Amino acid sequence: MISVLLRLPLAGFSLEVDVRLEAPAVAVLGPSGAGKTSLLESIAGLRRAAEGRISINEEVVLDSAAGLRLPPERRRIGWVPQDALLFPHLDVEGNVRFGERAGGAKRSFREAVEILEIGPLLPRSPANLSGGERQRVALARALTSEPRLLLLDEPLAAVDVELKSRILPYLLRIRDEARIPMLYVTHNAGEAEALAGEALLLRGGRVEVHGPTSEVVAGRMWPAIDPRARFENIVEGVLGKSGGSSPAELRLVGGLALAVPAAGEFRGRAVFAVAPDDILLSAEPLSRISARNVLAGRVLSVEASAADAMVRAEAAGVTWRARVTAAAVCDLGLGPGSSVWLAIKTHSFKRLR
Amino acid sequence: MTAEDLSILGLTLRVAAISTLMILPLGLAAGWALARWKGRGRAIVETVLSLPIVLPPTAVGLVLLDLLRRSGPLGRLLDRTGVDLLFTWKAVVLAVAVMSFPLLVRPARAAFEEIDPRLLGLARSLGRRPAMVFATVALPLAWRGIATGIVLAFSRALGEFGATILVAGSIPGRTQTLALAIFHRTQIGQDEAAMRLVLMTVVLAFFTVWTSEILSRRRERQLQA
Repeated sequence: MISVLLRLPLAGFSLEVDVRLEAPAVAVLGPSGAGKTSLLESIAGLRRAAEGRISINEEVVLDSAAGLRLPPERRRIGWVPQDALLFPHLDVEGNVRFGERAGGAKRSFREAVEILEIGPLLPRSPANLSGGERQRVALARALTSEPRLLLLDEPLAAVDVELKSRILPYLLRIRDEARIPMLYVTHNAGEAEALAGEALLLRGGRVEVHGPTSEVVAGRMWPAIDPRARFENIVEGVLGKSGGSSPAELRLVGGLALAVPAAGEFRGRAVFAVAPDDILLSAEPLSRISARNVLAGRVLSVEASAADAMVRAEAAGVTWRARVTAAAVCDLGLGPGSSVWLAIKTHSFKRLR
Repeated sequence: MTAEDLSILGLTLRVAAISTLMILPLGLAAGWALARWKGRGRAIVETVLSLPIVLPPTAVGLVLLDLLRRSGPLGRLLDRTGVDLLFTWKAVVLAVAVMSFPLLVRPARAAFEEIDPRLLGLARSLGRRPAMVFATVALPLAWRGIATGIVLAFSRALGEFGATILVAGSIPGRTQTLALAIFHRTQIGQDEAAMRLVLMTVVLAFFTVWTSEILSRRRERQLQA
């Protein structure tokens, strides 16, 4: 459990946060300039002006009233900034090993290299890495230092970053395999929901909402809060058989299988994204349709904006978002509780990583 | 080249090397402190440290002489410890060290300033103490600027004249460095002998700068590879 009581003067406003975070992964949402990065830097001990009290699993790292201010090297907090900040004078291996602890477990390095799949990159120089590779190396470097908390700042360009360079699948593995608590700053509501059970929305230096991620994300006028916010549907499952050119099968935790594009010989855990624009809704059961995935579900909410509406629906144990026109919502008579059928083409599923 | 020429060259090299080594830790510390220190009074300290560059070297020499003479504040201290400094090779080292110090500090400070402070914070978050961060991140990243400073300081030490002659005189075989010997020989009409020394300084200067160029290019390639 992480408890943060913080006050930090910033240009034009001040960051004032008072939260207790319980979930193993917590998403930090909010517009640019809300103080998200400053919050992470304060927790890492990199903002000297930070006042208040911060504790991680009952160990106090900051208590300005008592004059306690643990320096960053004693906090054991892994920080992955937006721009990765790799050491330019070291190769990738030197970077990853930088935080290796003298008395630490030697496996942490191998484990980090394995989880983040950066083995082939080790002899390379940071200058020759792509943005996604850099982020993975920075994450491996933080992991190798055996932190008790990870602080991750979504890469600056993440809003339009290529699918294969997205960091989310690795974060899911770290959450489930390395089991290190994390705070993840993101503009992607889908990622937030997929990764974190708990979220806080930061605006103007204050925590506007704090609670279960689905509640924090749902029903808010997002374009007004964060113009960069993205709503993707993210599904995670185990990729199974695919017979040559036919679609592969993605088995979800709930047991249901989705038809997704074949990924060569790959088998195992996989993460796919579907844009809300790529989901068709029907008020009646669908038969004889080319889309390989037809899911029966129930509408949770309809968030209408100027010309279109975001329909949130639960189906196959997943909360989906579909963007349709306001007219379509009217015609279909969609509202909370109504039955709905979702049609998703195989190729609308885009594999991350 | 005569044995005397060689001994002058030897003394000059020795003095410049000792002086540069002596000011290196101090200069790095000063450059680092100035780069990291954002408080008031920084401009004053920086100006004072830079004075030897802008003042006439003889003025600096005279100040040193005044401090070091038997009745001077530092001289009395030295007298008590039994160290004889003035008009010895040690005085030459001191004079060239003072004169070359700012030439080391400035480029080192500029190089330290170019390092993203977040990179240093990140190194600490990975568990390294500030001194280790300095040694493993700041020094390697500022290497080019530091090398430039070392070359500049060493070159200045090789050629220093004004301050040296005031605190060490120009005693052949004891305190007479290349710069002093060139002047001395032209004064006594040995122009040809002076020209031999001039040639030596040209070769010396050439190799100093050339070596540093090669080193910094190699370093550049390492960083790019």
